[in-house]
Amino acid sequence: MAGSVGILPMLVAFGSFPRLVAYVPLRLRVLPDEREATVTSGVVAVWSHRTTLRLLVRRDLTVKYQQSVLGYLWSLIEPLGLGAIYFFVFGLLYRSATHRHLGEAAESYPLFLITGIFAWMWTSSAISEATNALTGQARLITTMNLPRELFPIGRVAGRFAEYVAGLPILAAVAAVYAALGRIDLGPSLLALPLAVLVQTILLVGIALLLSSLNVLMRDIERLMRLVTRVLFYATPIIYPLALVRDSGLPGWVKIAYEVNPLVGIFQLHHSIWYPAEFPDARLLCLSVGGSLVTLLVGAAVFRRLEPAVLKEL
Amino acid sequence: MGEPMIEAENLGIQFVRNRRRNLRLREMIIHRGGRQPDAGVFWPLRNVSFTVAPGDTVGVIGRNGTGKSTLLRLIAGVLIPDEGRIRVRGAVAPLLELSAGFSNDLTGRENVHLVGSLHGLSPGFLRRRFDEIVAFAGEQVANAIDTPVRHYSSGMKVRLGFAVIAQLPHPILLMDEVTAVGDADFRKKCYDTIDRLIAEGRTVMLVSHNENDLTRFCSRGLYFDGGRLRVDGTIREALDAYHNVVRP
Repeated sequence: MAGSVGILPMLVAFGSFPRLVAYVPLRLRVLPDEREATVTSGVVAVWSHRTTLRLLVRRDLTVKYQQSVLGYLWSLIEPLGLGAIYFFVFGLLYRSATHRHLGEAAESYPLFLITGIFAWMWTSSAISEATNALTGQARLITTMNLPRELFPIGRVAGRFAEYVAGLPILAAVAAVYAALGRIDLGPSLLALPLAVLVQTILLVGIALLLSSLNVLMRDIERLMRLVTRVLFYATPIIYPLALVRDSGLPGWVKIAYEVNPLVGIFQLHHSIWYPAEFPDARLLCLSVGGSLVTLLVGAAVFRRLEPAVLKEL
Repeated sequence: MGEPMIEAENLGIQFVRNRRRNLRLREMIIHRGGRQPDAGVFWPLRNVSFTVAPGDTVGVIGRNGTGKSTLLRLIAGVLIPDEGRIRVRGAVAPLLELSAGFSNDLTGRENVHLVGSLHGLSPGFLRRRFDEIVAFAGEQVANAIDTPVRHYSSGMKVRLGFAVIAQLPHPILLMDEVTAVGDADFRKKCYDTIDRLIAEGRTVMLVSHNENDLTRFCSRGLYFDGGRLRVDGTIREALDAYHNVVRP
């Protein structure tokens, strides 16, 4: 089970979630009418503060790049550098093994790689930055009455802006391979907005969940550093899904692997250039469903923990 | 008079001491169920009911740790009550922490624009008033307006924070110990501004230990002790009650 969905059951197993709930007493009983309509009121609040969201994102980006010489170019250099490393290992050293499984992507592995890695950079940096979205901005949160959801969502949006900044490079590389006749551009390009949509849903859910839990248990931050590393290899980013499906792994491992909503999302990303990678109906349902469930759980946990979070900041 | 501006009804909020220690794995395993589940639970405010009419100027009085700042935070909406309810009709201009929510990594200029916009001021308005805001904050701040706020002294932060908050058109103004820092010159400016805002008919709630400030600005007083509202009357009555406790 992927970290995204798996956090909650894990906490319950630890016995700590019931504890957390025990420290957030009475609220729903005392204030029934005002805070019960959770999801809709949250959405309305966030939407009506979208200007604020833009401000926060712009502030984050300013702060992030103001003291570096290359500035936002880092959001391109980092994934490209990673892509070069993985290309060296799997595209050159393990060339024959990689080519056997890549299918139609065999002749354009660099494109396959950076498509996955750009989307992964969004995922991993959004997760790590959203985790301390509340703890790191306590000053602002405790003085200004804004919907608290804005802070984790802002982190996801900020990293999305960096992803968008990388799209021209992706397009340029794809154009080169298209000119060489190694990929065909077609209606499969429409997989991009779909992938972005599902990924946004999933990341916002994770961000809400982790940011609020992290205020009460700073362990989350460390835990997620490990979990994101696991997720990187447990998701078809640098290798094709066929490698897992065709492997001799036991059936239950394969099922567990595909429950991770990121699997479907990254298949969508790869299918932008390689239509054969488009997830089948089951995988697509798992991915979309898993993302939606994560969002609902994240929003519910966030709402539930909000009073305790505000006291703790 | 019309509808009350702020309405607290049986308001209560509960804090847990050592929440983090209680959440530690060791505590969970070793002391599971063994310790009183209520240990460390306390109510900084409980059973608090009052209403504030538009244009009221209310001084909040009490010894340290009696829930005054907590009350302002509840009114500002940055804390959520565990019991009862608080209704606030109208936007709130809060000066709760001395820095007014500035980000340390941004310059004074960027912070004025950020905090101003977060409070709902338009970019055009902020550009037009920018010089006025900086002038209000004083020469020292004006010289450092393009350096990060982390290099500011606490006095400079308050000056700039107050300068921004004073521009807000919000009908409710909350101030927590604002005049305690800052020099005589700045205090004079603060007083003039607060006088102006009160004359405009704003609703003001002021937490202070400075009796001169309180009697100068406030007509009403709320005296808190042990998380309970003990006196809700004129500022004189509240101050008298406070003095009876402090100097019996």
